Amino acid sequence: MILGNTLRDWTVRTNKLERLWLLAKIEFKLRYYENKLGLFWALLKPIMDMCIYYVAFKIILKSDVPDFASYIFIGLVSWNFFVESTTGTIQLLNTKKYLYEYSNMNKLEIYISTLFANSIGFLFNLIMFVLFYHLLEAGTRGISFNNLWIIVLFLNLFILSLGVSLILSNIYIIAKDISQIWMVFTSFLFFLSPIFYKLSVYKKALPAFDYANPLAGIIINSRSVMMEGVPPDFRLLGFDIVYALLLLLAGLLLLNKLGARAAEKL
Amino acid sequence: MEHSIALKATNISKTFHIREDSHNTIKHRLFNLFNPSRQKNVLAIKPMDFEINKGECVGLIGRNGCGKSTLIRLLAGVYPTDTGEVIINGSTLIMNLGVGMSHELTARENIYVSSSVLGMKIKDIDMIFDKIVEFAELGEFIDTKIKYFSSGMVARLGFSIAVNAGAGIMFLDEIFAVGDMKFQEKAVKVFESSWIDGKTVILVSHSMDVIKKYCTRTAYMRKGELVFFGETEKAIELYVADNQ
Repeated sequence: MILGNTLRDWTVRTNKLERLWLLAKIEFKLRYYENKLGLFWALLKPIMDMCIYYVAFKIILKSDVPDFASYIFIGLVSWNFFVESTTGTIQLLNTKKYLYEYSNMNKLEIYISTLFANSIGFLFNLIMFVLFYHLLEAGTRGISFNNLWIIVLFLNLFILSLGVSLILSNIYIIAKDISQIWMVFTSFLFFLSPIFYKLSVYKKALPAFDYANPLAGIIINSRSVMMEGVPPDFRLLGFDIVYALLLLLAGLLLLNKLGARAAEKL
Repeated sequence: MEHSIALKATNISKTFHIREDSHNTIKHRLFNLFNPSRQKNVLAIKPMDFEINKGECVGLIGRNGCGKSTLIRLLAGVYPTDTGEVIINGSTLIMNLGVGMSHELTARENIYVSSSVLGMKIKDIDMIFDKIVEFAELGEFIDTKIKYFSSGMVARLGFSIAVNAGAGIMFLDEIFAVGDMKFQEKAVKVFESSWIDGKTVILVSHSMDVIKKYCTRTAYMRKGELVFFGETEKAIELYVADNQ
């Protein structure tokens, strides 16, 4: 009942959904069509990253993970979405000030639309991954219904990124150097996430980190569903969803407390 | 008749805390942990209550720095109030020189974004799109980023969007200073002919003629205080008397 009303409110009675989509489209266009390589760049980036790690870990360090290129690729797809949606949005309240300083627009919409734009990028990358994995790797398991679990995992990732994005960008209002701190933190987090390590090595070296790091579970599970065609580890998924929701809650509280003053402070 | 009220302010006030040295980085805060920054408190809006009805055109006068702009930002929901609350029935738009446009976007995109922020659906925007462009006299520059526009062109576009898309509650901050003489004439004409009908307008102006002409009620502010809110003639009288 309440859900139905809310849905009707967002689609029929007001223009909220339309507006989110419009803002997302424009954001996407600004990001990818403005430079010469255009959309190609969005696809090129994870492939170039993948090549670098492939050389480092497969050729130099002789990693023995099967289908290693795809293994890194799917990890990077999630990782890149997270970084783009957090590091890329720290100054969001500053760059999108024109949207809220003249009217009573809800600031949360600005965040959601920006993350929608990133989601378009995620979708392109995921399609690239599926093509890459099934066409170029030998001995894959084929497409399975369990692949659809990626939708749930992506929702989890979206909520997590939204929460962190809200927290960071609202702290930015009172502490501008949060962007530098976050940059150091993300590079640390990158090496603490199972992006290019073999899973058994990762679990052994950093016990309980697959549960403690909210991104680790998403990456591990996305490999299970996309590469092995098996359902995700539900305990891990449950943990990650709880993390994401808690962070989102913290973000929303900060938005109400600090974000309300954005127009006068920034 | 609760639904006929557009804005209701109850006991609202606003204080700005102005710091002499800005502690807005973590590094700064840590290094100055035992050295709190000197802070000046400016009481920008002293507690006040009032109601503005739907469809009313209200004037707001007072000297520079008396808190007019802060008050309209509180009423528009852009700034939060320190005490009390503002009840806003509808979408709001503050209009001074330009209405929240991104300089990275083209005129076309800005029209769609701004109108959408004001609550219009895409297909309704499609319908008024040509009207907006024509009124703003932009023509061939419609797909140019507005950062390459002259300031007059940007202001005309903003005015045109506001006039054609409009919000339920409009705050007009010295809008008759936009554009060249010809555009001003046109702006005044459209303002008079149709625009103020049915909309709630809060008009900030230093021109007593403008206030007298359009506003039925006027608020006079002095140093953050609402001195008088009522008949326009009386408000202007007080204002003029104070400035003698």
